[in-house]
Amino acid sequence: MKPHQYLGRTAIVLGLSATIAACAGPGPKPDSELQAAQSAVDRAEASDAREYNPVLLNDARNKVADAEELMEDEEYKEARRLLEQAELDARLAGARSETDKARQAVEEVNDSINKLRQRLNSEQQ
Amino acid sequence: MFNRKPLIGISVGLSVLMVGCAGTPEDNERLVEARSLYGQIENDTNVVRSGPAQLRSAKTRINEAEELQEEDATDDKIEHVSYLALRHTQIAHEQGKQAKLQEEINSAEQRREEMMLQMRTDEAQQARQEAQQLRREMERLQAEQTDRGMVLTLGDVLFGVNEASLKQSGEQTVQRLAEFMREYEDRRVRVEGYTDSTGDAAYNQELSERRAWSVKEELTERGIDGDRIEVQGFGEAHPVASNDTASGRQQNRRVEIVISDQDGNIQSR
Repeated sequence: MKPHQYLGRTAIVLGLSATIAACAGPGPKPDSELQAAQSAVDRAEASDAREYNPVLLNDARNKVADAEELMEDEEYKEARRLLEQAELDARLAGARSETDKARQAVEEVNDSINKLRQRLNSEQQ
Repeated sequence: MFNRKPLIGISVGLSVLMVGCAGTPEDNERLVEARSLYGQIENDTNVVRSGPAQLRSAKTRINEAEELQEEDATDDKIEHVSYLALRHTQIAHEQGKQAKLQEEINSAEQRREEMMLQMRTDEAQQARQEAQQLRREMERLQAEQTDRGMVLTLGDVLFGVNEASLKQSGEQTVQRLAEFMREYEDRRVRVEGYTDSTGDAAYNQELSERRAWSVKEELTERGIDGDRIEVQGFGEAHPVASNDTASGRQQNRRVEIVISDQDGNIQSR
């Protein structure tokens, strides 16, 4: 039993140090990720996400805001993750808004076709 | 009762064994979702056509998350990459939906244009038919196309000598005119009386007016609104033939009914 216990402890210690090493290394400042996330939010707003997908858009904005605070504390790794997520949240919000708008456009064209059809039918009678 | 315990023991043991065999810890929930959505859309032509790059990003992240799982990476790292994998897949899905909707919009718009064209053709045809109908009606009235528009002439023979009242044959013509005016509600008429040059000019003026008025009365009696009928006497003016011969004078004694255009406008002399 004893050798096994040692092995276990060694593993734990190794694992912990690996984790600490990962956390400790602040890595480079995620400036380009910040820029990418912000411009994705801007583009989502341009796609009317504020109207069509406010919840997801807000998630993205909150993550950007949190990441900015983390960057002030030099918590770059966590900030980078938030920014990577924020960018995709914003892109999805924008994409869903575009889908909703396209769906509305389809409805509008079909409505006008139905009205035309009714007019054509009534004229032919 | 007692023989159940070993069974439970075995099944617990088996489950442990199975989990052990699976080797990897339970798949991350988002990764499972991403993989399942990716499976739905990877062969969707709309998705493939609209966003091959986006689809590739999704695949890359899914593979990355799977590798992290195999390497027993930390949960938060797996969670993060799985999150990105799911988002990329969802974005690809949306792009595919948009491409499909855009196609629907395009074909619907084309259909609408075709219908508009059809409608314009129908309208033109209808207008042609209406014009034809009008021509037939005018022919029935024996109206003539002149530079003042359509003119219907009631000859002298339709009136009694030196009288304003219409003979029965004249009334038939007025009846047809009344029917025409009922049919074409926007049309108006001007009834113009004319005489020859024999006799007193003032008398002729008065006779021309009386004859014109009696035509108006015949029309109003048949239900035509008086506002749609102008009346004017021209006396000896505007002869259509020579006053030197009997037949010429007879042609000059007449009532002309000028029919307006469809907006109710009548060209005056």
